[in-house]
Amino acid sequence: MKIYLDKILGCTLIMLGLLSCEVEEFSDLNGPEVEAFQEKITRGDLPDLVGGVLYSSRVNLGGYFDDVGVIGREFYRFSASDPRLTGDLLGGGTNILDNNTFYITNPWAARYRTVKNANLILGFFEGQDVSDQFSDQELNATKGFLKTFIAHDLLLNLNLTDENGIRLDVADEDNLGPFVSKTEALSGIRAMLEDAAADLGNGGDAFPFFLPSGFDGFDTPSSFLGANQAIAARVAIYQADAPAALSFLENSFLDLDPTNLNSGVYYNFSQDQTDILNPMFFPVEATAAGARIMQASFLSDAETGDNRLSKVAQRSEPLTQDGLTGAYAVFRYETDTDPIPMIRNEELILLYAEANITVNPAEAISALNVIRESADLPSYTGPSDSASLIDEMLKQRRYSLYAEGHRWIDMRRYERLDELPIDRPDDDVWPMFPIPLNENQ
Amino acid sequence: MALEITNSKRMKMRQTLFKRVFLVLFFTLPGVLMAQGTITGNVTASVDGLPLPAVNVVVKGTTVGTTTDFDGNYEITVNDFPVILVFSSLGYAEKEVEVTSATAKDVILEESATGLDEVVVTGLATSVKRSNSANAVASVSAEELTGRTPPSTLDGALYGKFAGAIVNSNSGAPGGGISVKLRGATSITGNTQPLYIIDGVYIDNSSIPAGLNVVSEAAGQGSDSNQDNPSNRIADINPEDIANIEILKGASAAAIYGSRAAAGVVIITTKKGKAGETQFKFSQSTGFTQAINLYGLRNYTEDKVFDFFYSPSDDPGEDQSSRDAANAQVALFSQARSSGNLVDYEKEIFGEKGLISITSFSMSGGDEKTRFFSGITHNNENGIVKGTGYEKTSLRLNLEHRATDFLKLSLSSNYIYSSSNRGFYNNDNTGTSIGVALVSTYPWYNLFPNADGIYTDYALGASNILQTRDLVTNNEKINRAIMGGTANLDIYKAEKSNLELILRGGLDFYQLQTRAIFPKELQFQKPSNGGRNGVSVQGETINKNYNLSAFLVHNYFTENNINFRTQAGLTNEFFERNTDLITATGLVASETNVDQAANTGVDQTRVQQEDAGFFVQEEVNFQDKLIATIGLRGDKSSNNGDANKLAYYPKASLAVSLNEFGFWKEDSAWNQFKLRVAYGEAGNFPQSGALFTSYNSFSTDGILGISLRGIRGNSNLKSERQKELEFGTDLSFFGGRLGLTATYYTKTVDDLILLASLEPSTGYTQQFVNAGSLQNKGIELSLNAVPIATENFQWDLGVNFFKNTSEITELNVPAYNTGAFGAGLGSYRLEEGKSATQIVGSYPDGLRVIGDGEADFQIGYNNNLSYKNLQLTFLWQWKQGGDNINLTNLLSDLNGTSADYDDLTLDPAGETVNGKFRPNANAEVFVQDASYLRLREIGLYYTLDSKVLPNVFGDTIESIKFGLSGSNLINIFDYNGYDPEVSNFGGSTIFTGVDVTPYPSSKKYMFNVAINF
Repeated sequence: MKIYLDKILGCTLIMLGLLSCEVEEFSDLNGPEVEAFQEKITRGDLPDLVGGVLYSSRVNLGGYFDDVGVIGREFYRFSASDPRLTGDLLGGGTNILDNNTFYITNPWAARYRTVKNANLILGFFEGQDVSDQFSDQELNATKGFLKTFIAHDLLLNLNLTDENGIRLDVADEDNLGPFVSKTEALSGIRAMLEDAAADLGNGGDAFPFFLPSGFDGFDTPSSFLGANQAIAARVAIYQADAPAALSFLENSFLDLDPTNLNSGVYYNFSQDQTDILNPMFFPVEATAAGARIMQASFLSDAETGDNRLSKVAQRSEPLTQDGLTGAYAVFRYETDTDPIPMIRNEELILLYAEANITVNPAEAISALNVIRESADLPSYTGPSDSASLIDEMLKQRRYSLYAEGHRWIDMRRYERLDELPIDRPDDDVWPMFPIPLNENQ
Repeated sequence: MALEITNSKRMKMRQTLFKRVFLVLFFTLPGVLMAQGTITGNVTASVDGLPLPAVNVVVKGTTVGTTTDFDGNYEITVNDFPVILVFSSLGYAEKEVEVTSATAKDVILEESATGLDEVVVTGLATSVKRSNSANAVASVSAEELTGRTPPSTLDGALYGKFAGAIVNSNSGAPGGGISVKLRGATSITGNTQPLYIIDGVYIDNSSIPAGLNVVSEAAGQGSDSNQDNPSNRIADINPEDIANIEILKGASAAAIYGSRAAAGVVIITTKKGKAGETQFKFSQSTGFTQAINLYGLRNYTEDKVFDFFYSPSDDPGEDQSSRDAANAQVALFSQARSSGNLVDYEKEIFGEKGLISITSFSMSGGDEKTRFFSGITHNNENGIVKGTGYEKTSLRLNLEHRATDFLKLSLSSNYIYSSSNRGFYNNDNTGTSIGVALVSTYPWYNLFPNADGIYTDYALGASNILQTRDLVTNNEKINRAIMGGTANLDIYKAEKSNLELILRGGLDFYQLQTRAIFPKELQFQKPSNGGRNGVSVQGETINKNYNLSAFLVHNYFTENNINFRTQAGLTNEFFERNTDLITATGLVASETNVDQAANTGVDQTRVQQEDAGFFVQEEVNFQDKLIATIGLRGDKSSNNGDANKLAYYPKASLAVSLNEFGFWKEDSAWNQFKLRVAYGEAGNFPQSGALFTSYNSFSTDGILGISLRGIRGNSNLKSERQKELEFGTDLSFFGGRLGLTATYYTKTVDDLILLASLEPSTGYTQQFVNAGSLQNKGIELSLNAVPIATENFQWDLGVNFFKNTSEITELNVPAYNTGAFGAGLGSYRLEEGKSATQIVGSYPDGLRVIGDGEADFQIGYNNNLSYKNLQLTFLWQWKQGGDNINLTNLLSDLNGTSADYDDLTLDPAGETVNGKFRPNANAEVFVQDASYLRLREIGLYYTLDSKVLPNVFGDTIESIKFGLSGSNLINIFDYNGYDPEVSNFGGSTIFTGVDVTPYPSSKKYMFNVAINF
C-alpha cells in the first residue's frame, strides 16, 4: 500500500503545483474608474476631467440641431437609412413623436451626460480635502465654469421638452430630483448661472485646466463670466424678463458692432480620431443618404440682398426624399471642422433688441439696424409698435441664427408655431418633445 | 521509472498469488471438481485490434466473473463445461462465446451499432453508456457531420441533427457567423452560445468586430450594438477532423462545467489513430455556391418613375422644379430601357457563382504503444459576391502514447490559418454599405467603370455599389494554435477497484488581424462628398486561453454488480485577450498603412479573466437497473463582484432501466425502457467590464478629456444561475430497430443580468443589474428507426421534434424595449409574464405584441437509404413560426426599389400599393413570419470497395467513395427577404432575426471523391 500512497502523494503535489485556488481580482483594464477619483483627485486629473465635459457637451449636438431645425422648418434632414427624420419629426402621415426614439433619447441623454461629468467633478471636490492640490480661487473658478456648463446643457434639454419640463437636480444618481415645470426649470437654470457667476467672480485670474480655441477671449474666470452672463440673458429672455435680460447683457460680452457678430464661445471640432466632426456639415451636393435641404420659404421670405442667404447653397440638382424636394443645401458650415457657436454676439444684439422692445423701442430699432446693416440691408423703416418690432426681431433672428437652433423655440415663445410652413398635407408642427420613456414619468 | 517497476512487480505478484491459490484449489479438490478449468484469453477491439481493458467477463447465468486487465487479458475459472461467457464493455456490443474446455479463447468485440451501447460523457473525465444516461445528451458522429455534404464550418453542420438546438446563420457571407442556442433563451445580456471544448481545451468563440463602424456609423442612431458582421471563431475548427460531438444542452447535464455552462456545452472529440496498417485518406470536394433567393427588380414604367420622383408643392416654382427632376429621371429610364441598359444591380452584386474546393488528406496508424492521426485540410470558398471568400488551412496531429501499462499520454494539436473577405454589408447610417446602397440604386444609372477603370459617382446616392464592391477590403485573418494534452495514470488497479489520475492541460492561442480598407477614390471617401479621404482600419487581437485540470477517478465494483464511481478534481482556466484597433483616415496616395494618413486613432481593449474551481461526483450503478449520480462544482472567478467567493453548482440524476428488472422475456420486443430524471445548476458570468463605472478617453480640438461611458457598472453583480430539471424516457424495440426518446425540461435562469435602462438624467443610460428570472419549458422527441434492413437494402430514419417556450417570470426593472430599432419599427421587449422574445410595435393606443422571435417548433427529418454500394442521404429541416423584423423592406420602399412595390397585397382596403403602404403602416408589416422548410443536406454516393477494386487498382486502394451533394438546395418560405435566417446584430444575443440588407444566404452544389488507401 505504501507504494500507492507515494504515488497519490506525488500526483497530488503535481496537481497542487499546477493549480492555484486564488484568482486574481482585476480593476477595469480599459479605462479610469469613477471610484478612483472619488478616493483621490489630483491636480493633473482635473484637465482630463474638464476635458471630458468639453467633449461630451458636443456629443449628439447634430441630433439637437436637427430636432430644432426640422420642426422649426428651417431645413429637412434627409437620411437614406432612417425614415423618421422626415416622418416623425415633420409629423408625416399619422406619425407622431415617439418618446423612445433616437431623436429625443440621444440628445437628451448626451446633455445629461455632460451634466453628470460636471457634477462628478463637483462631487470629487466635495468628498475629499483638495486644499493641498488647488487654491480656493482655482476651486471657485472650476466650479463656476462647470456650473455654467450644467445650466447651459439643462437649458438645451428644456428647449426640447419645453412645457413637459426637465429634471433640475440630478447630482445624486440614486436619488434624482423631480421633473419640474418649464417656469421652475428656467428659474432654476438662472439661479444656477447666478451661482456660477458668483464663483467665477471669486475665481482669480486663471483656470487650472486647458480650454480649446473656441474659448479664445473667454479663457479666464473673469472673461468667461461674460459668457455666463450672456447665457443668463438668453434664459431671462425665455422667461420674458426684459429688465433682467438687459442687466445680464450689461455684464456680458455684448458689443453693438455690426462687424463683430461672431465673437463668442464656440464648440470646436477636428478630424482627430478621438474627436468629433462638425455634425452640421454636409457637402452641398450631398445625396439623399444624408443631407440637410433648406425649407423653401427661407429663400422666398428673404429681403432682397440679404447676405445671410449665403448660409444656403444651390445644388446642381434638386434632392427629393419622402415627398420633400429642395434645390438648396444648408451651408451654414463650410467644412466638417468649422466651430459651432454656443453663444455669440449676433444673438446678444438680438436679445438686446428683444429686451428693449418693451423697455426702449428706439434702442430696439437701433440694435435691429446693427443686424440689418451687417446683413447689407437698409435700416428698418417699419412701425415701431411692439407687434411690428417683434415681427422684425423674429425675422432677423430667423436669418441671423439660421440653423443654429433658434427658430422653433422663438416661434414657440411667441405662440406662432401655426405660422410655420407645412410641406405635406398631413404634416404637423410639434410644440415639444415628449419626456423620454426611460425617465419613467 | 521506479514506479513502473514496482507496479509491474505488483502485478506479477498478484498473478502469482492467484495462480498459487488456484493450484492449491486444483490439487485439494480434484475429485469434486473434475470438470473445473481455467479459460484464458485476450480481448481486442475489432476496429483497431487493440487490447480492451476492463471488459466484464461473466459466466452466463452466474455471478462468476472477472474483468480484463490493461492488456486485455483475462483468466476465469469455471466449474463446468461447456459454459457461455458474456463479454461486455462500454461502447461495444455484448458478445456471448461458448467455451467447451479449459483453453485459451481470444475474443474480438465489435463497436456497438445499435446506439444503446454508445457512450456519453457525464463528468469532466468520465463517460457512461448511453443506455445508462439520465440526460438526453445529443451526439453527432463524423458521418452525420461531414458524410452527407462537406460543411464549410463546424457549427453550420449542426442544423437539424438533434433536438433542442437552434442554429441560426447571421449572414450569408462565407466564413461563418453562425449562432447555436441550446434549449431556448439562456441569457439576455450575457453569453447565449454554448461552451465549446475540443479534446479538453476550452475554445474561444468570440466575434471580434473589424471597426467598420467608423464608415458605416451604424452604431449611433438608437442602436449601439455591433453591426459589423464579424465571423465567430468556432468557424476555425475543421469539421473533417472531428470524430464525435456531444452536446450537453442545459445545466442538468452540464453542471459539472459550472459557471460557464449555462448555455450548454459542446464537447468535441477529434479523430484518433488506430493500431495497424497505416491508413491514408484523400478527399476532394468541388462545387459552387449561389444565392438561394433574390428579391428581383421592380417592374418600372415611366409613370412609376415619375410618380416616385415627383412631389407636388404649393409653390409653383418648387413644383416645377420637382416636376423637371422627375421628368429627367423618366428620360434616363426610357433611354436606358430602350437601349437595353437597365441593370439589375442585385443580380450584378449577388448573382455570382462562387467556386468551392475542399481538399483533405489524412494519415493514421500506429502500433500498440503509439498511435497517431494527422490531417491537412484546405478550403477555398468564393462567395456569391465578387471579392468575398473564405480560405482555410488546417493541420492536425493527434498522438497517443502508452508509455507503460499504467500511463497513457495523449496530445492533440491543431494549427489553423484562415482568411475571409467578408465585404461591406448590414446596416449603416451613411448609405455606404453595399446592402443599404443597393436599395437606393436605380437600374437606369450606369455604375460600371469605364475603360480606364474609373467609376462615376452615383448621382442619387452616397456610393457607387460596384465601386464599393470592387475596391473595399474587409478581411479577417487568423493564425491559431490549439493544443491539448492529457495524461492518464493508473494509480492502482485491482479486481474490485481501481484509481486513475487524469491530468489535462489545454491552450487556445490565436492572432486575428482585421483589415478594413476604404480607398480614397471611393465616392463616399472623396472630401468633396463629405468623405474622409480614405479610411484604413487595422486591428490585431491576441487571444490566449489556457486551462489546467486534475481529476481522480475511483471505480469500485461489488460482488453483486453494484458499481461505484467517485471522481474529484480541480480546474483552473485563464483567459487573456488584447485588441488593438487602429483607425486611420485621410490616406496618403493609395497607401493603406495606418501611418500613411492624416489622422490616426488607436483603440485598445483588454479582457482578462481567471477562474478556479473544484468538483466532486459520485455515480452508483445498481446492476444497470438504477443509475444515480450526484455531483457538486464550486467555482470562483475574477469576473464576479467578489472574485474569491465560491459559487456552488450541484447536480443529481437518476436513471431507471425497467427492462433490466426482468419484467420482459429475453426475446420480448422491448429492448429498453428507461425512465430518467436529472437536475443541475450552472452559471453564466457577467460580461467583462460590467463591474466598473468608468470613463473613456476622447479629445476636443487636441485637448484630452475623459467622459463617462453610458453604462453604469455594478460591483455587486452576481453570475446568472440556471437551474434545469429534465425528465424523460428512452425506449427501444425490436433489437434496436425502433427507438424513441422523449424529454421534457424546465429551466429557470435566476439573477438574470440585465442591461436595464436607467433614467438618462442620471448621466447614464443603462446599468447592469441582477434583476429578473427567465423560464424555458420545452419538449424534445426523437425517433430513430430502421424500417427496412435486408442484405442489400437498408433504410435508416431519424426524426427529431422540439419546442421551447420562454417567459420572463420576474423583472425587477421596468419593462423595456431592446434588440432592434425602436417600437415604431418593431422591437423586442422584456416584460414580466411575457415571452422573452416577444416583439412589440407602437400604436396610437400604446404598445401591442405583434410577434415573437421564438419558433413554435422545429423538426429535423433525416433519411439514409442504401442499396448495395449506393447511398442516398438527406436531411430536411422545418422551422415553424418565429418572427423576424424585416427592415430591408422598409429601406427599399423608401427608395421606391422594392420588387413588390406595385403589388397590392398588404393594404386591407386594397388601395395603396405595398411600397407606399409599408412606410406609413404600423410596425406589424415589418414583423414577418420566418418559418421555413429546407432540404438542408443531401448526398448521393457510390462506394467502390475492395470487392470490386482489386481488378481495377490492384490492392493498393481500399475503397473509393464518390458522389454528389448539396446544402440548402430546396428552401420553402413565405418570408419577404433573402432568407428568414438572418441577424443584423450577430449571434451573441437572443434577439436575432433583425433583417437589414444582409449578405444573402446561399446554396451549395458539390461533387465529392474520397479515396482510402
